[in-house]
Amino acid sequence: MSPSSPPRSPLSRRGLLAAGGLLAAAGLAGCGGNGGSGGSSGSVIFYQSKREAIQYFDDLLGTFRKEHQDISVVHDIATNLSASFVRKNPPDIACQNYNLEMARFMERGALSDLADMPEAVLIRDDVQELVNWYPGYEGRTSVIPFSVAGAAVIYNRRIFEEQHLEIPTTWDEFTEVCEKLQKADITPIYGTFGDPWTVSQGLFDYTIGGMMDVRGFFQRVNELGEDVGPDSDTSFQKDMLKPIERMLVLKKYHQDDAASRFYGDGNTAMGNGEAAMLLQGPWALAEIEKAGSTEDLSCFPLPVTDDPADLKIRVNIDLSLWIPEGADRKDEARELLSFLMTPEVMDPYNKALLAMGTTKDAPPAKDPRIAPMQKYYDDAAFYQGASQFIPTTIPFTNYLQSILFGADPKTILAKVDNDFASLAYRS
Amino acid sequence: MSTTTSTVADPSTGSADTTRKRGARRDSRSRSTRRVDPVYYLFLFPALAIFTLAITLPAVLGFAYSFTNSIGFGDWEFIGLRNYVAMFRDQGIVSAYLFTLGFALVTVVVVNVLAFILALGLTSRIRLQAALRTVFVLPMVISGIIIAFVFKFLFSTTLPSIGSALGIESLSSSILADESLAWIAIVVVTAWSTIPSTMLIYIAGLVTIPDEVYEAASIDGAGPAKRLWNITLPLVSGFIVINTILGFKNYLNAYDIVVGLTDGGPGTATRTVAMSIFKGFTGGDYGYQMANAFVFFLISIVIAVIQLSITRGKASFGA
Repeated sequence: MSPSSPPRSPLSRRGLLAAGGLLAAAGLAGCGGNGGSGGSSGSVIFYQSKREAIQYFDDLLGTFRKEHQDISVVHDIATNLSASFVRKNPPDIACQNYNLEMARFMERGALSDLADMPEAVLIRDDVQELVNWYPGYEGRTSVIPFSVAGAAVIYNRRIFEEQHLEIPTTWDEFTEVCEKLQKADITPIYGTFGDPWTVSQGLFDYTIGGMMDVRGFFQRVNELGEDVGPDSDTSFQKDMLKPIERMLVLKKYHQDDAASRFYGDGNTAMGNGEAAMLLQGPWALAEIEKAGSTEDLSCFPLPVTDDPADLKIRVNIDLSLWIPEGADRKDEARELLSFLMTPEVMDPYNKALLAMGTTKDAPPAKDPRIAPMQKYYDDAAFYQGASQFIPTTIPFTNYLQSILFGADPKTILAKVDNDFASLAYRS
Repeated sequence: MSTTTSTVADPSTGSADTTRKRGARRDSRSRSTRRVDPVYYLFLFPALAIFTLAITLPAVLGFAYSFTNSIGFGDWEFIGLRNYVAMFRDQGIVSAYLFTLGFALVTVVVVNVLAFILALGLTSRIRLQAALRTVFVLPMVISGIIIAFVFKFLFSTTLPSIGSALGIESLSSSILADESLAWIAIVVVTAWSTIPSTMLIYIAGLVTIPDEVYEAASIDGAGPAKRLWNITLPLVSGFIVINTILGFKNYLNAYDIVVGLTDGGPGTATRTVAMSIFKGFTGGDYGYQMANAFVFFLISIVIAVIQLSITRGKASFGA
């Protein structure tokens, strides 16, 4: 049938016109919709996407709904946060990992001040201070830390006992332990260099954090901005070279195929007792447990200096609570926040997900796998991972991987300086 | 593909082609004088409206953002050409461009040669032709990221264990972990997943060549090589042009397979332009990567124009 011929078909021209018009209207209407997390406008949108914790929070919301029949809450696990802020349609409250990306929202004043909430005073000062390592919004408590993840060297207690090894507290003791393990034909450290993030999280952050003042360094390079380079008083090439050289010493204590092994392989190997140590956080312990391992694992901070007093653990703000300035239902969101900040909610979470409490009266971690970190946590002997303070637009983890695979650290660090200065130049 | 100094190829095909084109042009002219039914415009309008709203408008806005320091939301200010200046100083971006161009070139050649050979095989009188065609097209239905994850496992676990079992030193470590070899893995996997679609276009082209032409050539004493070079290739040259242009465009945008296989690594050895642009969204480098995207857009257009002008008037779509 040719449409330009006289309308013989059952479809009249007027009908076609109407159909075309309807289609066009539908198309336009589809574009105009506001979609996203504000879909059910009568509910509080609670954003939380840490995969391991989704079920836990889902159950919690069930309890909350029973106690607060007047508030309806929707658990959002999938919306793109940046996009929701761009659309001026952010969630009403979120319980999320806090990092440099999240700090961008805070820095631009997108999060409301929570300083007047009674829960804000419950937080340990040194833990609340972790938020201020990132750029913030002057005079506001935009973020309340909900839980902290402590990370150190995971080790196999059975292997250490069988080989009569003590927990090392200095750099020399640590390399000695590795040598002894190698002599006994045991892989000292299991490497998963195929996943660059595991290198920056473990090897890099632990050595840098153990040797450098992470916060001071990043404060200074951020002040220098465009001027960071070979001639500035502080720079990546100047300050990070020594720790990185030390990090490279550890490379020989990894298994031969570390370059082509990934995060999951490391957990499997530790679960099967194939290696003595793994430089990973508590999230790996949870994975190993899920695989049904019976190995006796625990942890200790990586010693990178000759002084046991320098021992520190790596921490990050595993989850933090915040309420956007643009939230539709701030009051209900605050009520939910108060509910989440009760010990009945926080303590079981920390226990189940191997995290550390953030409040002044939080009970210490008792799980033997992470308990050794409690002492350092209580003494504020911790640092946040240096890799977390480098904007992700600089492919730093990939640079690190190159260094491990043989590139000259001096050249690569100069490249980081260059990228860092260039980023400051254009922002 | 444009060597037409031959004895067998009919020089009149070219002229016949142009007369046909001229005739078509006259046809369309006479048609345009008739009133066009507005229904046609209405049919086009929804698609055009959606395209404008979803593609053109954001692209123009993106271009405007390339002169700002926007991080994707919140306040921003105009910073002039700073993003563009910074781009040319950025070693990472420059090497991403070099890698992407090199990768696209190599892959286009590898894919087209192999796809053409397969198409030749699958259009000849072989047994189980239909079944074999189905088998060879299968990779097309699997999504790139899944293919990449499967091959990642093969390259990092299976291949090295085979290599060390056979005592082959060069195979016993993963090529994905080798900065100078990882690109080969990406070419192999990309080829594996894109050969079927290229091959289908070649099969479509090869079946348009009538048997008589080959018979005539055989009578004139042309052997298989000569028939391929002087009949088959000139007659499917149009399909070769299509496949190269489409292929090049696809490989310049390489993303899913690279992300799945190496994620730009080891180090930054296999970082593509599309990956840099995308990382800018998650890393809060929106304005800068918009500038990158615009430059990339220009380069893609230049390449397409060059490809078209080289092949213009020389392509033939079957006998």
